[in-house]
Amino acid sequence: MAPTGSCDLCIESESDIVGARRAVREAAIQLGFGQTDVTRIVTAASELARNTFKYAGGGVMRCHPVEIGTRTGIELQFVDHGPGILDVSLAMQNGFSTSAGLGLGLPGAKRLMDEMEIESQPGRLTVVTVRKWLRN
Amino acid sequence: MDPSSANRNISVIRMRDFLFVGMPADPDDSLIAALQDDVLKAMERHGSRAVLLDISLVETFDSFFARTVSETAQMVNLMGGRTIIVGMRPAVAITATQIGLTLGKIETALDVDRALSLAATEPVPKLRR
Amino acid sequence: MNPQTNLTGTAVPNTLLPEQNGMSRELLQLLVDTVRDYAIIFLDPAGHVLTWNAAAQRLKGWTADEIIGQHFSRFYPPEDLQRGKTEIELRGAVEEGRFEDEGWRVRKDGTRFWANVIITALRDKDGTLRGFGKVTRDLTERRLSEERIKKQAQEIFEMAVVPVVQVWEGIVLVPLIGTLDSQRTNQLMERLLRRVAETGSSIALVDITGVPTIDTQTAQHLIETISAVRLMGAEVVLTGVRPAIAQALVHLGIDLANVTTRPSLAGGLSMALTMLNLRVLPMTPGQ
Repeated sequence: MAPTGSCDLCIESESDIVGARRAVREAAIQLGFGQTDVTRIVTAASELARNTFKYAGGGVMRCHPVEIGTRTGIELQFVDHGPGILDVSLAMQNGFSTSAGLGLGLPGAKRLMDEMEIESQPGRLTVVTVRKWLRN
Repeated sequence: MDPSSANRNISVIRMRDFLFVGMPADPDDSLIAALQDDVLKAMERHGSRAVLLDISLVETFDSFFARTVSETAQMVNLMGGRTIIVGMRPAVAITATQIGLTLGKIETALDVDRALSLAATEPVPKLRR
Repeated sequence: MNPQTNLTGTAVPNTLLPEQNGMSRELLQLLVDTVRDYAIIFLDPAGHVLTWNAAAQRLKGWTADEIIGQHFSRFYPPEDLQRGKTEIELRGAVEEGRFEDEGWRVRKDGTRFWANVIITALRDKDGTLRGFGKVTRDLTERRLSEERIKKQAQEIFEMAVVPVVQVWEGIVLVPLIGTLDSQRTNQLMERLLRRVAETGSSIALVDITGVPTIDTQTAQHLIETISAVRLMGAEVVLTGVRPAIAQALVHLGIDLANVTTRPSLAGGLSMALTMLNLRVLPMTPGQ
C-alpha cells in the first residue's frame, strides 16, 4: 500500500497511462481534493503520462503531498531520459506538436494545475513537475 | 464487478436508425482507438442516421480521447451520420472546458432520452462552438 | 541501567522513571503498556529509540526488536528530513523543555499518518539531559473528518453563494450577484452543472441583473460556464442583459453571438419555455 497521497510508478507501456490515472486519482482523493479538482489532476496526469510514454519513450511518475505553511497540495513529477523539450516556451503554446496528437498535452496540463515547472536537457533528463493546492 | 474487465468493452448496439455506443469508465488508449474502428464498421454495415456516444460513465476525458471522438465524428459525418455525445459528467465538462477542448461537429445531450429526441429531429444548423 | 521485564517485552529504564508519590513503578509501566491511543517511547539524548510500547507498534508498525537503537528520524517523511525537522524538534525540546508538533509521520510500511507529537526533555536532579520522552497520537481520523466537515461547510457556503433554483421542469435559474473571479466561477460551474445533472434540466437561465459591471474577466468566465453547460447537453439563456451591460460587452469586443440573451429574466423564462415547446395559456372561466 502506497503512503497516503503518494504513488510511484514506471510508465513503460500504454496500460501504465491508465495505471497512472488510477494511482493519481486515489492519491488526490486521499488528500481531500473535491470531485472536480480530482478530475483536473487526473486529466493532467493522463496528458503528461501519455507524453512520457509516447514522446519520451518511457519514464517514471511520482506523486506525493506537499506542504507550505498551512497549505497542502499534491505534486506530480514526470521524469524521463528522452528527446526532451528544446524550446519550453514553444512547447507550451496551444497546438504545438512535433509528433501527431500531442499538441494539447503540456498546455492542457498547465491550465488544469496551479503550478508547472519544466527542466529539460534533451537526450539526458527531462523533469515536468505540476502542483495543485487544496482550496481553503 | 472486476474493474479491469469493466474497462475492456465498448458496446455498439443498433437501435432502428441509430447506433448506440457505450464507453466504460476508464478506457485505455487501445480501447479508445477501437472505438473509432467499431463505430465506422457499424456505420458501414447499418448506414445509421446518428451515433449516440454515451460517456456517462467516463471519468477522464483527456485530449487524446477528445481528439479520437472528434475525428470519429468527422468520419461519421462523411458517412452521412450525426454524432451526439450523451451524459458528459459535470466534472468532466468543467475540465474539458478548461483545457479548451472543442467538439466541432458534435452535438451533446443530457441523457439517452433527450439524445433520441434530438436525433429524431432534423438537425438545426449548429452554430460553431 | 536495569530494565524490568514487562508485558510487551520492553521496559522503561529505571533511571528515567520519575519518583511518584504513591505510584509504584509497576503501575506506571502498566499504564505505558496498556494505553492504546498514545505511542509512548523514550529516546536517548541523540534521538535513538530506547523503549517502545504496544501502541507504538500498533501505530507505526515496527516491533520493539526492530526499532530499538534506531534513530527516530525513521518516523519522518523525506521532505521533513530535508528540512532538518528532527534536529529542530530535539533542540526545541532541549531549550523549552517540550516541543509539540502536528504533521505527517511515516510507518514501517511507508504509509503516512497525521500525528500529534509531544517531545519532552527528561533531566535528572542535577539538570543533566538523560533523554527524551515522546508521545505520539494518531490524528488521521480526526483530520479526515475535519476535511469532510470543511467540505460540507464549503458546499453549504456554495449553495448560499450560488443558489441554483429549479423554476420549472427542465429549467433551472442562477441569479448571479456581483462579479465573477476565478474562484466564484469555479463555484458557479460546479454548482450549476451538478444541479443541471441532478434535475435533468436542459435549460439554465443565468441572470446577470445583479452583476454591476461586466469586465473582460467576468465575460470570459461566463463564456466558459456556458461552454461547460453545453458540453453536458444543456443550453444557457443569459438574462438581465441591461443596456449598460450590452454597451460594455460591445466596447470590450466580446462576442456573445452564439449565446441566447434577453434583457429581462421574464423574457428569458418565456424564451426557455418556447425552447422546450411549452406555452403558458390563460385558464378559461369555469376551469
